[in-house]
Amino acid sequence: MTPTEKLVNRLPNDVGGLPADPIQRVEHELEPWEKRCHALADVLDFHKIINTEEKRRGVEALGAEMVVKLSYYERWIVAFANILFQKGILTPTELALKMKEVESRSSEG
Amino acid sequence: MTHQHEGDDHDHDHDHAHPHAEISEGRPGYYDIMETAVRELLIEKKLIRADEIRRQIEVLDSRSPALGATVVARAWTDPAFRARLLANGRAACEELGISFYDDTSLIVIENTDKVHNLIVCTLCSCYPRPVLGLPPDWYKAKPYRARAVVEPRAVLAEFGTIIPDDVDVRVHDSTAMVRYLVLPKRPTGTEHFSEEELAALVTRDTMIGVVPATVDVARPAP
Repeated sequence: MTPTEKLVNRLPNDVGGLPADPIQRVEHELEPWEKRCHALADVLDFHKIINTEEKRRGVEALGAEMVVKLSYYERWIVAFANILFQKGILTPTELALKMKEVESRSSEG
Repeated sequence: MTHQHEGDDHDHDHDHAHPHAEISEGRPGYYDIMETAVRELLIEKKLIRADEIRRQIEVLDSRSPALGATVVARAWTDPAFRARLLANGRAACEELGISFYDDTSLIVIENTDKVHNLIVCTLCSCYPRPVLGLPPDWYKAKPYRARAVVEPRAVLAEFGTIIPDDVDVRVHDSTAMVRYLVLPKRPTGTEHFSEEELAALVTRDTMIGVVPATVDVARPAP
């Protein structure tokens, strides 16, 4: 396979069978926001707003660089935002304004 | 050979000690703020409710490998239950009062003298969450996902598990809808153990299939 064929045949999530490093048995307790993010994912699934497959594809659509550099729940929340934009449920402007509001609220506190 | 686009050895350690996670001074980080903003916008639009999020956090907190351990201990002591568990994992777990909060089905696979089973999710992180809680970071990271399906014996050896050559190793790749749980072999010398004592031998990793259940490993506190 040529290098570009390889890219087509393997999207970033499709790592099964590739060579990789030794397993490092890392684990961590979820940060509060990570747990909220997980709960948000489940609730979005219950309401059929974003299902598990859409979430996985949404993460993949972030592209290889973000898939590697963002942490697990960072990938999720960015994927959710993108999917919600695509579905016309949120707009980027709305989210940007809301994030500004949340940030100013938390810096006051 | 370059596999740079596939990631590198960094993707396993980014869920902890992440340089972007601004946990200092209690000031929320960028992604923390994004989560709050997305959630609040969806609540304002009445697409979800705040109490649903709170309730789901409680559900997530209520799930741990202790639940799976009760299922395994019951299967070890009750042959009829074991048969029902292997026939329909979800229905048998529900019998024990374990609710499935999602649409997933559960296939329970039994380790025997001839077969050792291992579960993985090569594409992402699917896992039997209703019975085990959330997966460990290594389960979600590239090395385990990439290698479990091609060199399971080498992966198992890294967990200290050596499978004899005359025992088949079967790897089960989870999907969004189908999740797997390993029913480990009951350790020898436990004939007189109560169901509760048996459950204490069943750790998360025995139900992922990376280690066997043994009498000398007590389950760490959840």
